[in-house]
Amino acid sequence: MIKTVIPVGPFHPLLEEAEYFTLTVDGETVVDIDLDIGWMHRGHEYLSEGKTFTQSIYLVERICGICSTSHPLACSHAIEDVDNIEIPPRAAYIRTLVGELERIHSHLLWLGLAGHFIGYDTLWMWAWRYREPVLQMFEKISGNRNHYGMLRVGGVGRDVDPDSISGLLGILDEVWRKIEMVARAAGDDPVLKARLKGVGVLPKQAAVDYCAVGPTARASGVPVDVRKDEPTDAYGLVEFEKIVLQNGDVYDKLVVRLLETLESIKIVRQCLEKLKTAPGAILNDVKEISAGEGIGRYEAPRGEVFHYVRTDGTNRPIRHKVRAPSYVNIPTFAASCKGIPVADVLITLASVDPCYCCTERAVRMVDSHNLPFRIDLAKLSREKTERIRREIHG
Amino acid sequence: MLDKETFLEEMGQRIRRGVDKKGRLYFEVAGEDLHEVVKYLFHTMGCRLSTATAMETYHGLEVLYHFSHDPTGQYYCPRVVMTDKKNPRLNSITPIIKGAEWIEREMSEMLGITFDGHPRPERLLTRDHPKGLDRPLRLRRPS
Repeated sequence: MIKTVIPVGPFHPLLEEAEYFTLTVDGETVVDIDLDIGWMHRGHEYLSEGKTFTQSIYLVERICGICSTSHPLACSHAIEDVDNIEIPPRAAYIRTLVGELERIHSHLLWLGLAGHFIGYDTLWMWAWRYREPVLQMFEKISGNRNHYGMLRVGGVGRDVDPDSISGLLGILDEVWRKIEMVARAAGDDPVLKARLKGVGVLPKQAAVDYCAVGPTARASGVPVDVRKDEPTDAYGLVEFEKIVLQNGDVYDKLVVRLLETLESIKIVRQCLEKLKTAPGAILNDVKEISAGEGIGRYEAPRGEVFHYVRTDGTNRPIRHKVRAPSYVNIPTFAASCKGIPVADVLITLASVDPCYCCTERAVRMVDSHNLPFRIDLAKLSREKTERIRREIHG
Repeated sequence: MLDKETFLEEMGQRIRRGVDKKGRLYFEVAGEDLHEVVKYLFHTMGCRLSTATAMETYHGLEVLYHFSHDPTGQYYCPRVVMTDKKNPRLNSITPIIKGAEWIEREMSEMLGITFDGHPRPERLLTRDHPKGLDRPLRLRRPS
């Protein structure tokens, strides 16, 4: 039996961070997968120890470009947890508003990329077109389409203008109609079902063993959602449902994200309605943080972001631990990728949510004689989608 | 549902000292008791390992595990302190929880802690680093 090794990465358009996968294949079937990370170790934890608490929040905002408010939220929660600092109700609604808008645009980004990877470019264009108004809402709220700089210890640094809320609600209504249409269309699409159902299954027990989080865990029947488990900010004041599905395949991950997007729109609408009238300040005056330790977390679009800070009574953390959701979700590939065809690896790797770019990527393949030749995983995936499309539609 | 009181009742004799805050329980355990506490948290209570934090203090090296009990939102954080800074050793919990593999490898290379029984004691982040980093998070605090 000849086994072939396919290296994927370390710089790969499907992966939100630079990672290096080594696929061992037997014919068309993946028999083993190994992962190698550490290509972008940027020293955030060490850097944070040299910065004040407020500066740390800005620093961690740069960890991820897509969920750039999740890390600051978790960091603020951790610092506030040291002294059990409360935040004003208006600030709580603003935090939740920004966090949920981010979830909408991140899930739509993933949906578009997932469509593109399997050769379903209509879905890609739809999803990204309807993501654009969400970014415009961000620009109206924070002044930026990304990296919003809204968070402070004890609240937020920028208020939402009550006069702009009716305009924001108008955009949101339009987004709701479009996303609902996309969700129905994607849910009924026989090609999507045939291409994604049963692909890259992550069993529930494996999700528990690997401590997976976010949609990756919820699509496998593990009901973990920080927003419900430990409601901070305004999550205890708004109504929404936790979306949990059971199959653990790529299709269920897609459906979880689609349904969560609709739930997020409901939360955003409730927050905006409350912000019309919610009185009071947006920032509590926090003079100092005492010596101690605090844990902060937030349900980022990809899952739980975890921050831990140790303080000594000065204005800087003496230890700041950061754990992003990908850190626990990526190792689940060892369970979800074994035994599947090579053409399905691409979308399975992508199903935990990639971030950057949409460039084609040809990987270097080494055969049993260590001779390199090139294979295009994206092309293989698209060919499979096309084959399924022909089988369904004749 | 198993709660904090039940945990303290069952594991109380293994806890040396602790800090009980709102939704957070930090407590110190001996290295030899770690497996029993982790098994109780993971298998009996159904907690999820969020991650672990290692740091160097004046007293030695410490590893703080963060277990989330998702149904209640409570965090259980067992802390193990190793006073031997030259050769810190700790039993690996990866044989119990697969999800601990990466974080233990990271703590090992960043602070030089040896995790006995780890199935894959290789560097995670700095394997091919051009400068061949050695315990980078300890360099600024020489023992």
